[in-house]
Formats: sequence, C-alpha cells, structure tokens
Amino acid sequence: MTDADLRLKALFAEDEPPARDPAFSTAVMEELARRRFAADIALLAILAVGCGFALWLVWPRLAPLMPTLSQGLAPLGACATLAVAAVMLLDGRIPVLRRNHG
Amino acid sequence: MSPEGMDLELVEAARRGSASAFARLVERHQQALRAFLRRTCGNWAQADDLAQETFLAAWERIGKLEAGASVRAWLCGIGYNKHLTALRSAGRSRAREAAYEVEKPPSSGAMTDERLTLEAALSELPPDQRACVALCLAADFSHAEAAEALGLPLGTVKSHVTRGRQRLLEALGGSDDGR
Repeated sequence: MTDADLRLKALFAEDEPPARDPAFSTAVMEELARRRFAADIALLAILAVGCGFALWLVWPRLAPLMPTLSQGLAPLGACATLAVAAVMLLDGRIPVLRRNHG
Repeated sequence: MSPEGMDLELVEAARRGSASAFARLVERHQQALRAFLRRTCGNWAQADDLAQETFLAAWERIGKLEAGASVRAWLCGIGYNKHLTALRSAGRSRAREAAYEVEKPPSSGAMTDERLTLEAALSELPPDQRACVALCLAADFSHAEAAEALGLPLGTVKSHVTRGRQRLLEALGGSDDGR
C-alpha cells in the first residue's frame, strides 16, 4: 500500500461509525420485531377470516347436528381450548404458525 | 473462533429463527455497512436508514446466503442495491443532492479541509465508481470481493478503483506515487 493509499484510508477512517452502537442495533431489532408482529397479526387475521368463511359455508349442514354433537364434543372442545391456550402461554407462539426463514 | 466461523454459527442460528443471533450479526457488521453506505450516499442520515432497511431485508433473505459467503460483502451488496433503487427515484435523487449541498454530514469532531475536499470529490464520482472506492480503498475489500458484493465484473471494479483513486488524489492535491 502506497503513502497515497494510506492517506486516503486515514481520511476515510474519520467518518467511521462506532464499532458498537447499541442505539442503532436496538432500532434495527425493534423494527424487525414490529414487522414480525404485524406479519403474525396479518396471518392470524387471514386464518380467522378463512375459518369464519368455512364455518359460514358448512353451517347449514352443521346446524341440525349441533344439538347432538355438542353433548359429546363439549368436553373435548374445552380440553382442546385449554391445551392451545397453554401452548400459547408457554411457548409464546403457536408452532404451526411459526414462519420458516430458511 | 475466527470471525468467519462466528458469522457462520450466527447465520445458522438466525436461519433457524433466532432473533438474538441476528442481533449479534447486526452488532458485528453495522459499522462496516454504515461506513460503506455513508461513503456511497454522502448523506449520513439516509445511509443509516438504508443500513436499517438492509438488515431487515437480510433477515428475510438469510436463507439465501450461500454457505461460506462473506456476510459483510453480502450485506454491502444488499445495501448497494437499496442505494441504487433510491437513486433511481429522480425526485429523491434531486432532493438528496440538494440536501447534500446544504447539509454537512454530522460529525463528532470538526472536519478537516482535506476531509471536506474528499467528501466533495467523492460526491462527484459516478455511483458505481464511488461504491468501488468505498469498498476497496476505505474498507479493505479485495477487487474480487467488491465485484461479488456489487455484482460488477472484476475488470470494471479494478478500473473504477484506479480511476476513482486518481480523481480523489487529484482533488486532494496529492501525487499518485504508484501502486
């Protein structure tokens, strides 16, 4: 490396950002978390709308069966709801909804 | 562990969805990326915005990073493409040039005359040439690394670095004492 290159390099080094900048790193990670949260909400909203639409489609056939089905399915539904709630509380997120970034 | 080995581990963890591993990658590479974008953009605030956007894009694309590839070069490549996209927007480009003229880059200390001359000379270089100079003369990238990061042919990078270096030295009033 020549003297001219060293001189240029020294001048360039004057505007070097700090090696550690917690404010910048935190800002990046906060924005990342905000975008992931928004994506999760959007996905859940799409799922909810999809499930609602599917229910609306099958409701005419399902409605007559409800009185008999509800007797047997109520305990199972309650257990499933509790299980899902437990998974969400313990894990923070539902594994099947976890996005694959690979 | 070597820096490359550490990067490899962090990239693997980030691919599995580890935000903390990605945060470590941000910490490790923010300096190099921001320095490159500052030199390429001229506008420090915009450079930091582009750096943030670059890291967010990197998180989404980390699965596409080839095994063994340099994380630093990959990030600079994404950042450079984002810079070019911003440049292609004519209105923003004009606004940036105007802002560059009236707004001195923020600095923790007073800028020397030489430093100001360098900034002015750098701003007059074409974007490709400026990026090559920022990587090869300021950040110790090899010509091959810069070519890969910027998506330019190796010969073009060499030529940009030689011409850019010449123009900067001329502006600084120095002599080119050979390579």
